[in-house]
Amino acid sequence: MKSVVTTVVTAADAAGRFPTTSDLESVQGSLQRASARLEAAEKLAANLDQVAQEAYDACIKKYSYLNNQGEANSTDTFKSKCLRDIKHYMRLVNYCLVVGGTGPLDEWGIAGQREVYRALNLPTAPYVEALTFARNRGCAPRDMSSQALVEYNSLLDYAINSLS
Amino acid sequence: MLDAFSRAVVAADSKTSPIGGEELASLKGFIAEGNKRLDAVNAIASNASCIVSDAVAGMICENTGLIQAGGNCYPNRRMAACLRDGEIVLRYITYALLSGDASVLEDRCLNGLKETYTALGVPLQSTGRAVGIMKAASIAHINNSNTEGNGGKRFRKMEMINGDCASISSEAASYFDRVISALS
Repeated sequence: MKSVVTTVVTAADAAGRFPTTSDLESVQGSLQRASARLEAAEKLAANLDQVAQEAYDACIKKYSYLNNQGEANSTDTFKSKCLRDIKHYMRLVNYCLVVGGTGPLDEWGIAGQREVYRALNLPTAPYVEALTFARNRGCAPRDMSSQALVEYNSLLDYAINSLS
Repeated sequence: MLDAFSRAVVAADSKTSPIGGEELASLKGFIAEGNKRLDAVNAIASNASCIVSDAVAGMICENTGLIQAGGNCYPNRRMAACLRDGEIVLRYITYALLSGDASVLEDRCLNGLKETYTALGVPLQSTGRAVGIMKAASIAHINNSNTEGNGGKRFRKMEMINGDCASISSEAASYFDRVISALS
């Protein structure tokens, strides 16, 4: 999985050299920035269910046609699956915050996403709405520090861009 | 290839749970101790050629048959191959120590190494001994505990702030032990 450390190690290994001072510097740089990321990951993990529920409610409110018969949110099974999908995205954002890169979202969220939603005949606009709601809902310093919020929002933006 | 962070992510994904609480606490520890880790990697990388040549020389001193005709280090060509392999093993150990996870060492170095050495007729016991000497030397460099008595006239002390390096040096030792057990 791609992160600062694995990128540095891959480059050093390709050149067949020991980690150099500049390799160590770049790892240190990522460690220094890591505390904000981990703070965001911690706050998100603690409130993930509520965050996902609010985002889900917001997207169903905007796209209420989804509740009509035959639509993607019409039955209880569908409703729980929609909520689960939003939780998946929030969980992957949590992983990305821990790793310090977009690896988990890329590998487990975005790869094949378009094909799956097309095959299941799901609209992507509600996902965008849910993630956009979560992106605009976070507030510093109420929820987390401003630097942590920047990291969190930028990953949500990344997920939104992948869907739109 | 994984590091300490992506290892936690892969473990959490198998349970489909977000990472919080206890796992995050250990990752925070990783960050707080990050400078020790970087110093430890630097201590090994900066003394790598010394560590490797000492280990190979020590292995031969204990078993001089290696450099007599028919020994596995006998012509310079084979001795050079031995030194090169020692450096490669040590290099992958520094990668593992830097990333805080043994996957790079396992995947790129140890996977199939024993079979390769058996096929090439490289004595596994001597190889394990050389890695054992590299381990002792590297741990001494990480703890900065070597003395002029140990090093002789080539003794060189690294300038760094001393602290409690018990956990990072035991982590480094575990990677050397992994190599030794993979070869035995």
